[in-house]
Formats: sequence, structure tokens, C-alpha cells
Amino acid sequence: MLSQQEAAVSTGVNWRRLAPVAVIYFIVSNVLSFIRQFIVVLSVLAWSASSFDYQQSFWFIPVMVAIFLATIVSGVVSYWFYQYRIRNEHIEIRSGLFRRRNINLPFWRIQNVKIEQPFYYRLTHYTVVVLDTAGSSGEEAKIVAVERDYAQQLRQAVLISGRQHQAGTTEDKTPEAVDTATSSLADDEKVINRRSLSDLIIHGLTNNRVWILLGALTPFYDEISGFVYDFVDDLGLSMDALFADQQVLWWQVGLYVISTMLLILSVMAMVSVAGSVITYYNYTLTRTSDRYIRRSGLFSLQEVSMRESRIQMISVRQDWLDYLLKRANFFFEQNKTGDKQEQELHATHKMLVPSVTLAEAQALATDAMPDNKVYQTGYSRISTRFISRWILTLALPACALVSAMGYAREGWHIFLITIPAFMLACAGIYLRWRRWGFACDDTYCYIRKGMAGIDRYSFALFKVQQVALTQSVLMQRRGLANVHFILASGSITIPYIPYAVATALADKALWHAESGRRSWM
Amino acid sequence: MTTEGEAFSNTVVSADQLPSLDTLVYEPLSPRYRTLNLAIAAAIFITLLVVVNFIRFQPFVTLPEGLLFAWPFVTTGLLALWGLLSVYHWLADPLLQFSLREQDLSVHKGLIFRSITCQPVLRIQHIELKRGPLERLAGLATLQVFSAGGAGHTFEIPGLPVAQAQKIRQFILDHKDVGAR
Repeated sequence: MLSQQEAAVSTGVNWRRLAPVAVIYFIVSNVLSFIRQFIVVLSVLAWSASSFDYQQSFWFIPVMVAIFLATIVSGVVSYWFYQYRIRNEHIEIRSGLFRRRNINLPFWRIQNVKIEQPFYYRLTHYTVVVLDTAGSSGEEAKIVAVERDYAQQLRQAVLISGRQHQAGTTEDKTPEAVDTATSSLADDEKVINRRSLSDLIIHGLTNNRVWILLGALTPFYDEISGFVYDFVDDLGLSMDALFADQQVLWWQVGLYVISTMLLILSVMAMVSVAGSVITYYNYTLTRTSDRYIRRSGLFSLQEVSMRESRIQMISVRQDWLDYLLKRANFFFEQNKTGDKQEQELHATHKMLVPSVTLAEAQALATDAMPDNKVYQTGYSRISTRFISRWILTLALPACALVSAMGYAREGWHIFLITIPAFMLACAGIYLRWRRWGFACDDTYCYIRKGMAGIDRYSFALFKVQQVALTQSVLMQRRGLANVHFILASGSITIPYIPYAVATALADKALWHAESGRRSWM
Repeated sequence: MTTEGEAFSNTVVSADQLPSLDTLVYEPLSPRYRTLNLAIAAAIFITLLVVVNFIRFQPFVTLPEGLLFAWPFVTTGLLALWGLLSVYHWLADPLLQFSLREQDLSVHKGLIFRSITCQPVLRIQHIELKRGPLERLAGLATLQVFSAGGAGHTFEIPGLPVAQAQKIRQFILDHKDVGAR
């Protein structure tokens, strides 16, 4: 029995080619993957360009033309060998010239549907549909150029299929639930959070988003560093000029170092703000009855959706700068697929709401986990043994080692460094202990930690995958234990709590998981 | 999605009525598990010692001074490591125990760092019986249980007699909740 939505997106038995605009996508992605594979060779070439004049060589122009043609041809070939069809709630994709790849993906196995619009598609109405599965990380499928309306319809069809599959029926229950929306928001979608430009600027300042741009600029490092050097030179900050007359005073050097640091920091901050704005521009978080959908992007538009039931944990993270500005990063953490370490932006298992205010964080937390008490007091402290443990096993040995090694060379002066460093480390450990806290109610477990800032985590007890209690011999003697909750999104630990409390927490989580029989996905 | 079926009840349960990890009754592994570990350690260290002493006493080449000087230290070092490892296995292996309950599996281990890991059957994704060549020789098997918690948190019971391992696997497979996710 085919639903209306399914019928709308079905392409029939025949294999289809993409819209010709996909050639651009293939060219760009081939060039990027080429650069990624041969980054070492390329950088060696770029570096040796200073000693060998490639430009003067007889071969330079022919080679450049050949490379140019090769990229075009590779794009066309990839385009030509890419075919897809969608029928019977299955997406099938054939691609690749030498390495043929066949993907057959049933709608109900699709975990996330991401609609992206790279900047070179911005003038067209085409989008890239990225389909994430719950399987291994390499198993994602992309339909490279589909019209935006069709992409929306496809997304709706996939969502409905997933919903029906979850309900354990394939009957067409919700024919009128979603119309084939031509607007960017579907009917039952409501906006629950937007980020303004000023929020994004704060986000850029408090979080290092430099890598967003650095990643894109890797091939041009040489030119950039040359440019920066010239720029600094123009400002009169050149090392050569400064140290040419050899009578520099210590304060001049100090000033030089400080102003250079400030310059670097402000450039970094600006780059970071730019990175934040580029990726999160016009950030909108909406939700439908069972999904969160995030849309953002200045040049390339991204649309990521995440089913609410897949959220394993929410975390609200605040470092010291966020703490001062009373902002926090809010994460919906979904189950991880594979062990790949992903950058949080591209990570499909985490959805970030950047630099929200505390009121907004509370609202989001309540939205994802009704009746949660993550922002209420009543967190229990962990044992003070935590402090002595870290001082004795980390701070003290490290300082003793450095002192012993330094004493041989510097004499007692070394203590001027190691003793303050030791005090600082102790203070840090103490602050960390003060932030550690945990609480548990009938549905959720809450964990608070951090040093200067505060990170808060909350998860539904029934979602635990595994529970572990650990203790060393010394902890055993003191009646203490650590409790680890392993969730599909990662594990989280509460250290140094009384053994009885740890056991009770573990038992409670197990009881919820086992007696509830509720799905964690 | 709350599943509020007719079987659902939510009466107050006092904490000491809940089943507790603290009162688990554990079963030991096969005694051959320790023997196997001791044998493996012995095999490795005897091989290393034979190699070192062969190099020391072979008649073909004269060794440099440095190696001759190092030989007694290397030999005692290896012997000491072997001794430590054997003592560790002798003491720690019997502490590795497991427990099955209706709804979950637990493993208890640790000489210096104790741990109890508990895996609800409901959350199991798949099961594997792993038998390396040496384990096959000893008639043992390792039961691995995978949940969505990731590869770092694979639940493992080593050193089970094969028949018992298969029985446990069958117990898990027969559990009505497996695959229910």
C-alpha cells in the first residue's frame, strides 16, 4: 500500500540521471577529495615553487590545461555514472566508474535527512539531500541535485515512513498530515529557537570557530603567511627592524610580545566570528511533532533534522567566557554511528544550538525533556576525596618531578615557578570538585561539572545501554565508587560518590531500562 | 512516545525492594582460564629468554661490550616481569566472575581496580562467541555482547567453557526482548 507522499516522490522503475547542474557538484567534490588525498604532494610542490620556477617551465601551461580538463572530465564522468531511482519506499543509487557502488536504502532505515544547498547551487533551486542511516558511518547516501520542493517532499515521505514503521504498521494513517509543502516550513513545524547575528558574534568570540575557515584555506597557507608577514611589517612591528639596533630594553620586547599577541588574538577572534556567522547565519531551530530541524548557513545552506526519540542526552556547556557572558552551547546528542571522531558541526550525532541564553537553554531542555530539573538546585556533591586523589596523583608528582629536574639546573629558583603552579593546580582541582554535582529524579539523571564554567548533562534513565561501577582498592576502603552510564551517545561518569549511592543510582537506571521496555531510539 | 499499555504500573517501590547490583550472586569462570593465561605468559617469556640467551651464548659472533653488559639486567628484568604477570594472573583471574539475571548480565573483575559492569539484555544488539586458537585448544570461549554504547564498551565474558558460553548465548537469544531495541 503506497502512501500519497510515497507516490509523490516515486520515480518509477526507470533509472534517472540528476539535473546537469550536478556536474558542478561532482567537480567540486572531486577536486576536494583530490586535494585531501594529495595534500602532502601539493604542499611539497607549493613549497618547492620558491626554488624551482614552475611558471617558467615549458610544461607549465600544458600541465595546467590537462589538470583543468581532467577535473571537468571527472565531473562529467561522475555525473554520467550516477543514477538513482526511488520506488516502493526504497532509494537506490548506482554510482562510480571504476568502483561501482550500489546503495539500496529503505526509507525506514534512514535516521536523518539533511538538505544542503552549497553556495554554487544558491542561484538555482537545487539542493543536495544527505541521507544518514543508523548503520556504519561510511554508509550515508547523497542525492546530489534535486529540486528543493522535491527534496522537501522526499523528506516528508521518509519521515512519515519512519513514523509508521515505528508504530509497527505500514497502513496509510496520516494522508493529510503533511501536504506537499512548497514553503520552506511544513505545516506542523513551529520555530522554537532563532539565533540573531549578535548571538552568532558572541558565539564566534566565545568559541573557537577558527578551524571552519582554516580548514577551507589549507591550500593557501603559504600565500597567507607571506601576506601576514608583509602586513605586520607595514605596521612597524617587524622583528628585523626592532632588533636591528641592538639596544632593546626589556620593556620594549615585552611590549612587542604583548602587541603581537593582541594582534594575533584579535585576528583569531575576527576569523572565528566570521566562521560562526558563515555556518550559523540565519539559524532556525524548528520542531515538528517528532523532529527537530535546524537550518542555517550564509553561503551553503544546511538543513539537518533529528528525530526526537533518538536524542540520548542533552548537554548545556559553558566555558569560563560563556559563564561571564551568561551564555551556553546547547547540544542535542544523538546516538553515534561508528567510532569516527567528528567535528561537532558536521557531526550528525550532535545538534548544536549556539550561544543560547540561560532562559533559552532552559526552554530547550524542557522542550526535549519535559519536567526536567536540570536547572534546579538539589545537586549532591561528590566526596572530598576527589580533591586529595587528584592532588596526590597528579599535581604533587608533576610538581615534584619538575622541581627535581629543575633544581639541578636552576637551583632553588625553580620553586618560584613550581610552588605557584602547584597552588594553581590545587585551586583548579578544588574548583572542579565544587562544580561536580549529580541529581536524579524519577525519569532523568542530571550531572553538573566544569571548572570555571558549568557543563550540565541530562539523560533519561531508561536510555542507558550499560552501567558500570568502578573503584580502586583505596576507594573501596573509603566506601567510594565511580558510576558510569553508557549511553548510545557516549558514556558519562559520576566519580567519587558513596558506594551505596552509586549502587542505588546504577540499580535505578537498570530498573528503568529493563522494566520500562521502552525503545532508546 | 510513551508506551502506556495496560501492563504498565507505577506503584511506589522502596529502594531496598529493587534488585541491586550489590547482592548479585556470581559464578566463576572455568579454572582453565587462569591456567591458559599463565601458560601464555610462560610461553612468551620463555621464548624471549631463549632468544636473549641464544644471542648471548651463540659461538658465531663476538658481541659488543654494551650487549654483554646489558645481558644480566635484561634477563633479570624479563624474569621479574614474568613473575609479576604470573602473580597478577594467579590472584586476579579468579576474581573475574559473572552473573546472569533475568534481565541483565554482569561481570565483576579487578584486583586493584574493581569494576562491576552490567548489561541489560533489552539493549543488546548482537552477540558473538569468539574463540582464538589458544582458546580453542583450552576448550574455552569468550562471549562478546554488543550494545549501542559503542566499541569501547563491548561487554565481554572471557574464559567460559564452550558449552556454557553457548548456553548463555542461547539464553540471550531466547530472551523475548532481544531485537526489540
